[in-house]
Amino acid sequence: MIKVEGLYKRYHNHHGSDWVLKDVNFEIPTNVSVGLVGRNGAGKSTLLRLIGGMDSPDRGQVVTNSRISWPIGLSGGLQGSMTGRQNVRFVARIHGNRDEIPDIVRRVEEFAEIGPAFDEPVRTYSSGMRSRLNFGLSLAFDFEVYLSDEATAVGDRSFRAKATQAFQDRIGKASIIMVSHSEGILKELCQAGLWLHQGQALWFDDINDAIKAYHQSTSK
Amino acid sequence: MLSTRTSWQVTRSVWHAMFIREALARTMADRMAWFWMLFEPIAIIIVMVAIRTVIMGSVHSIEGAEFIPWIITGLFGFFLVRENMMRPIGAIDANKGLFAYRQVKPIDPVLIRCYLEGLLQSFIFILFIIACSLLEINLVPADALGALFAWLSLWCLGLGAGLIFSALAGLVPEIGKILRIISLPLLIISGVIFPLNFVPHELLVYVMWNPIVHGLESLRGAFFPLYRPVPGTSLLYLWYWILGMTTLGLMLHVRFELRLKRQ
Repeated sequence: MIKVEGLYKRYHNHHGSDWVLKDVNFEIPTNVSVGLVGRNGAGKSTLLRLIGGMDSPDRGQVVTNSRISWPIGLSGGLQGSMTGRQNVRFVARIHGNRDEIPDIVRRVEEFAEIGPAFDEPVRTYSSGMRSRLNFGLSLAFDFEVYLSDEATAVGDRSFRAKATQAFQDRIGKASIIMVSHSEGILKELCQAGLWLHQGQALWFDDINDAIKAYHQSTSK
Repeated sequence: MLSTRTSWQVTRSVWHAMFIREALARTMADRMAWFWMLFEPIAIIIVMVAIRTVIMGSVHSIEGAEFIPWIITGLFGFFLVRENMMRPIGAIDANKGLFAYRQVKPIDPVLIRCYLEGLLQSFIFILFIIACSLLEINLVPADALGALFAWLSLWCLGLGAGLIFSALAGLVPEIGKILRIISLPLLIISGVIFPLNFVPHELLVYVMWNPIVHGLESLRGAFFPLYRPVPGTSLLYLWYWILGMTTLGLMLHVRFELRLKRQ
């Protein structure tokens, strides 16, 4: 369960600062996967960062009793100067399972399927390889809610199939909150939808309705 | 697999992970990393000894201490402070990718770098003491406990400065550049190469504001039994600075944590 109550967020810059999120309220029940839709700059990534605890809201709060992953995306989560393997070992260590490191490394290596590049610095990776590694890394830990910020956007067919499969294996145990502009994967993985529009969040019990509402607002 | 851990357990595992990450980056960055760690102090000592011999050829001796051990203790004490002050400045930037994990705070790489840097400097200093003993240069501290305490005090001073400047440089990047510029003048006014006994009294009052002097003179006092530190040397004064700077540094990190993460 994730409950968002009266969330306000803005970023300060030199020319005033508008609210990115303005009084956002919703509740995501346990084991419901949610797709976030909205135009660029609507605050989707910001909302994910707030849910993931990477940033703090100006007002309001996020209440949860679930174990939430970090936002899996193209940027962040991986340190460019370290190799894929070092990154995985680092993350395994900060999550405190010292004895399971070899096991975690093996699982990530198998999921990511990036071959010898696993021992190259992450900065040499293509965006697809980064998202494979990052996604595999988060799947190696048993989170209850996974946050995905366009992590699947650059994936090829086999990667998408794998990601979908991984979540279908975990139905009942884990859910995902994902930002994506590809509707195929949203419909595949999510049940409910959240449309971010002008700082507000509108909840839809069916992801198709959320996509429809988003389309109608853009076609005008 | 992921059970609820206490904050302290989380911090411990972050420090453990960060230490391994930083130690690898520092020592394995390139094949020559280890070589430079040893060769750099050797080269600087040779250059400093040469400068001193040319400029102050006649006044060669320092009362109560031999010249080369005197300069080596000063240089190492100064390096300890300088490295602890300068290294953390890049620490936050170099680990930006890792702040995606909410367990990792900007202060973690700073603390770990200071810890690692202190360990490395201590290790190299011990190597130098051993090497000098083999060359029959007396560099074994007379008062080992006193030397250890002065060394730890200098380490803490560097940590305090590192905490402050890592936070400030994260907010205003120019600060890093300014610090790099003042590090050479700081070396001179800290009495690393030239004994401060030659400084006139009116001026000495101001020179003694610099906390590094107090640490270096205490360190030398502990190494050489007959050496008379510059009058006014006080470890207590140094510790006022250490406590003040560490507190200010921690406060800056608490206050600006989110801004440091974002940049």
